Amino acid sequence: MTPLLTLLACTTSELSESWQIDRLRVLAVAAEPAEPRPGDTVTFTSLVVSPEVEVAATIWFACLTGGDDFGCDVDPSLLEDLDPEALTSDDLEALAAAGFIGAEPFLPPVWAVPTDALDGLTPDQRREGLTALVNVTAVPDIPSPTEQDLELAYKRVPVSEAETPNHNPVITSIRVDGVEIPPGTTASLDRGQPYTIAVTLSETSVESYTFVNADGVTETRVEAPYFTWYARDGTFDRTFDLWPYADTVFYAPDAPDTENPGIWVVVRDRRGGMSWASVAVRYR
Amino acid sequence: MIHMLLALTTPAVAQPAPDPTAATSEAELPPLVKDPALVTFVEAPYPDAARAAGVEGTVLLAIEVAETGAVTNVSVLQGTGTDLGLEAAAVEAARQFVFSPAEDATGPVPVVIEFGYGFVLDSAATNGAAPELTAPTTPEELPVNLDGQLVEMGTRRPLAGFVVRLEPLALEATTDADGRYTFRGVPAGPVTIRVVRPGFAALEQAVVVSTTELTTAKLWLRNESYASAGVIGYYRQESAEVSKRTISMEEIRRIPGTFGDPIRVVQTLPGAARTPFGTGFLVIRGSNPEDSGVYVDGIRIPYIYHIGGFESVINPDLVAAVDYLPGGFGPRYGRSTGGVVDVSTRREFPERTHVTWSTDLLDSGALVMGTVGKKNEHGFGVAARRSYVDAILPLFLDDGFVAKPSWWDYQAKYQWQGDGPDELSVLVFGFEDVLIASTPPGFAQSTDADGQGELGTKYSTHRVLVRWEHPLSESLAFHLIPSFGRDYASFNLGNSWSIVQEQWLTEIRAELPWTPNEHVKIVPGIDFVGGVSPFAVTLPFNPEQFAETDPLAEREPYVIEDVQTGWGPDLYLLTELRPLADPDRLLLTPGVRFNFVSIPGEYDIYSFDPRFAAKWEVFDGGRLKGSAGLYHQPPQPFQSYRGDELPVELGFERSISGSLGWEQDIGQAVQVEAEVFYKALDNLIVSNPDFDGLEDQFFANNGVGRAYGVEVLARHAPIGNFFGWVSYTLSRSERRDQPNEDWYPFDYDQTHIFVATGGYKLPWDIEVSAKVEYVTGNPTTPYSLGVYDVDQDSYQAFQTGAGNSERLPPYWAVSGRIDKLFTFKSWQLDIYVDLLNALHGVNPEFELYNYDYTEKSYIEGLPFIPSPGFEAKFQF
Repeated sequence: MTPLLTLLACTTSELSESWQIDRLRVLAVAAEPAEPRPGDTVTFTSLVVSPEVEVAATIWFACLTGGDDFGCDVDPSLLEDLDPEALTSDDLEALAAAGFIGAEPFLPPVWAVPTDALDGLTPDQRREGLTALVNVTAVPDIPSPTEQDLELAYKRVPVSEAETPNHNPVITSIRVDGVEIPPGTTASLDRGQPYTIAVTLSETSVESYTFVNADGVTETRVEAPYFTWYARDGTFDRTFDLWPYADTVFYAPDAPDTENPGIWVVVRDRRGGMSWASVAVRYR
Repeated sequence: MIHMLLALTTPAVAQPAPDPTAATSEAELPPLVKDPALVTFVEAPYPDAARAAGVEGTVLLAIEVAETGAVTNVSVLQGTGTDLGLEAAAVEAARQFVFSPAEDATGPVPVVIEFGYGFVLDSAATNGAAPELTAPTTPEELPVNLDGQLVEMGTRRPLAGFVVRLEPLALEATTDADGRYTFRGVPAGPVTIRVVRPGFAALEQAVVVSTTELTTAKLWLRNESYASAGVIGYYRQESAEVSKRTISMEEIRRIPGTFGDPIRVVQTLPGAARTPFGTGFLVIRGSNPEDSGVYVDGIRIPYIYHIGGFESVINPDLVAAVDYLPGGFGPRYGRSTGGVVDVSTRREFPERTHVTWSTDLLDSGALVMGTVGKKNEHGFGVAARRSYVDAILPLFLDDGFVAKPSWWDYQAKYQWQGDGPDELSVLVFGFEDVLIASTPPGFAQSTDADGQGELGTKYSTHRVLVRWEHPLSESLAFHLIPSFGRDYASFNLGNSWSIVQEQWLTEIRAELPWTPNEHVKIVPGIDFVGGVSPFAVTLPFNPEQFAETDPLAEREPYVIEDVQTGWGPDLYLLTELRPLADPDRLLLTPGVRFNFVSIPGEYDIYSFDPRFAAKWEVFDGGRLKGSAGLYHQPPQPFQSYRGDELPVELGFERSISGSLGWEQDIGQAVQVEAEVFYKALDNLIVSNPDFDGLEDQFFANNGVGRAYGVEVLARHAPIGNFFGWVSYTLSRSERRDQPNEDWYPFDYDQTHIFVATGGYKLPWDIEVSAKVEYVTGNPTTPYSLGVYDVDQDSYQAFQTGAGNSERLPPYWAVSGRIDKLFTFKSWQLDIYVDLLNALHGVNPEFELYNYDYTEKSYIEGLPFIPSPGFEAKFQF
């Protein structure tokens, strides 16, 4: 029905689209290790993009229980008068009790998985594990940012004693029309022209793993990652790909009027692992 | 010389007036099987003042004809606009007319007909020149030397009672029932045959007459306005269903933007909410779409619309009437807490074979109907239709993308039209709707690995329905409608999603109407439905996992294959009591219905529905009406299944409703009615708040609701050149899903619903019509500021207000339609264009947020679209 309705109805298209980076965005969050065991120390990285203003801080919280559809339940009053550049020990103690694990760029996020995280579970349940949550709040560098100015995101972190724990996928290269673009270099693109953007994953990125189904049968499954494409301007032929497809066509804008143009790609393995790559762009 | 011309504008322009003794229920709108014919015509004296002033004109009369054929009342519908006595003369003459009685399937019935009484001054009289030629009279012994037949151009319909004149001779003859005329002893030589009749183009045809041999001339008379043929003239209808509103198909076909669809027209009447473009829902008096029942000849069907909601599944040319009952309906209808729409198919087929071909933007169809047999006792109609949207859409899509919606339907009806008291008909109909959509290989349709592949939906219905009505005695009859059919519905997306449901259904309706006298009618009946429904569901995940919405959860395919059976032999008793000496003054209709539903292995539930309605004609033209009743609706099939050994613990949804209204006739053409209603709902089936796993029920009878409002309808029947109505509903519909929650507006709660529609017949067989709509926007729930779920790659929105606490902007649209009819000797061509949303009205249908819920916009309905089409009618 949808195609018919879409064709016949007059759909407004004034709304901004997810692939276009025109505001502060958290595009990805990766935990390392991707699937920790109790007692492991987990570090986090994030892909935060903000084309218009600088990012003042990225604040992190973690929780093993008590989360909901919006991540960890964090008392907003804890952050109201918080100055990340002048944290006191009392501040840190109160924050730690609430699940605070870091505030970039001053305090890199690190979370120690409680050693008793899986206590009380059966061996099968421990292999299956449970899910912790991590909240990420990106704060723009503007005077007195309001709630509307913040970018809120959350991620699940599986905690288990799985025999085949998950690992983050690895993007080994990103290419424009077949030419590999090394990190830190800028691709020069002709205005209005199409370019094929492609990425390559490492050989170990698409993992096999075991899963015990509801009947108690152990299955071997293979990950089915997918890619999401983002850009500052221009347009894409398609904005996501399902493995083994890992490319798209980017149409450079005819009249670019944005600063810091670029293209980003995020790969997710559907088990909590993710990684990303980007290309800085200059238009000719 | 002065000539009087009478103008019987249509052969059957009457809505049957009440017949309290008729065995056939009036709720079924029995059509006339025999039209009234004028037996005795009385010439009115030409008023001196009019003659002196040289004034001509036609007086449009409404003549009430009794079962005996006698004229019981005459009133003026439309005068000449002069004050020269033409109206009084016409009324006085018409009162002395005698007709042969009109008949429906039960026998003679009273009717009201439209009659144009024309006053035309003879040219000799008006010109003053009086070349009064002496012509012999036509004594019976003189031989017939000129004859022929007068037929209507385009329809080949014989024109009876028309005066055929020979100029310059002062000879005239009147056509008989077959349109034939004869002249005896016409002098040899050239003469001009002249037929002048209001409503028809004047005919003059020259012939040369011989005294030694017969001259035969077939005359083709062109009707000036074919559109009025077959129009049901009046809406005034005594009925046990006090809130029933009946629409003539002629009106339906002339309303802009409806594609001639009866249900779309229902949506212009009071009590019916406007539903979003493309959905085809039927939301009546604040009920859910599934709470209203749609019937064809008394048998319920699951869908009335083809895919997209543009057209109904029954060819409009086979539809005789559509009854719309927004509430207060009697015990004949059940298993619904909402309203009822009952589509009645034709019970009368023309003697000549009619072939109709229709084409519009979406589809083309053909209809053949007529009669066979020595006495034309076997009526038949066969129709079929096929869409071609699936052939057009690919032209607008990129390579590799496929979107193919398609539908077809068929109907075949046999009707016994012979002598005898029995009525027998067989109706076979069916339809199928299919939508296929797919993308090129390698194109990701979503980020969900299980959301890839070809999308396919299909639903179909087939029914065989027999209707037999047999009188057992003068006062007792037996009505039986058995039907058998199959419904099928499926949905699939790639290899991961598949839902297939099939239903083999037997439905039987039987009634034993007993009418001991004109004051009492008692109808016991049974409304049985039973069936077997095999179904299979394949999902890529366990529904318990779906409830958790965890994108990292490992999915396990979930498959159910089962067979569900169910049956329900509902019993009902409806009575019609007319306690006053004049039985038409007061109608009381107490009734009761016993509901029973058994789903073996799940539940057996039953209930009683007492219902009562009354209509009282307080004074001529003014009627008070009211209703109160209890209505029960069983759980839907998908709610009646539980995939374990435990029974489903669900009961009927319940509605207690009442209404009170007033109908006022203003003249013969205009009727105004207003009705207030209140409906309390409880035991509504909602999601079970305690659902925590598959051992729990998905649903519970926890919901309550209420709907109330006032409906106003002012309508002008299609008399003369104009028809139209203004409909306004002021209402409120609310729900509460759990006992301690707050009331919230129902999804389709629309405070104001205003529709004005009308059509006007212009000269040269051109008709224009228009429709204006203004409707309060549907409630919406506000969201803002999403939180990004990094694993799901989507934003979870904060609900920033109560459920359904905001509304879409109001909907308004103006649509128009222009028809032009071309008439040839043996066929007619109607070309039209529908101007949908002609004034580019703003019509938001759905709310649309951007990816992070920081921006909001609307999916709008149809822009301005001129939609052309044509219909060709042939008669053999």
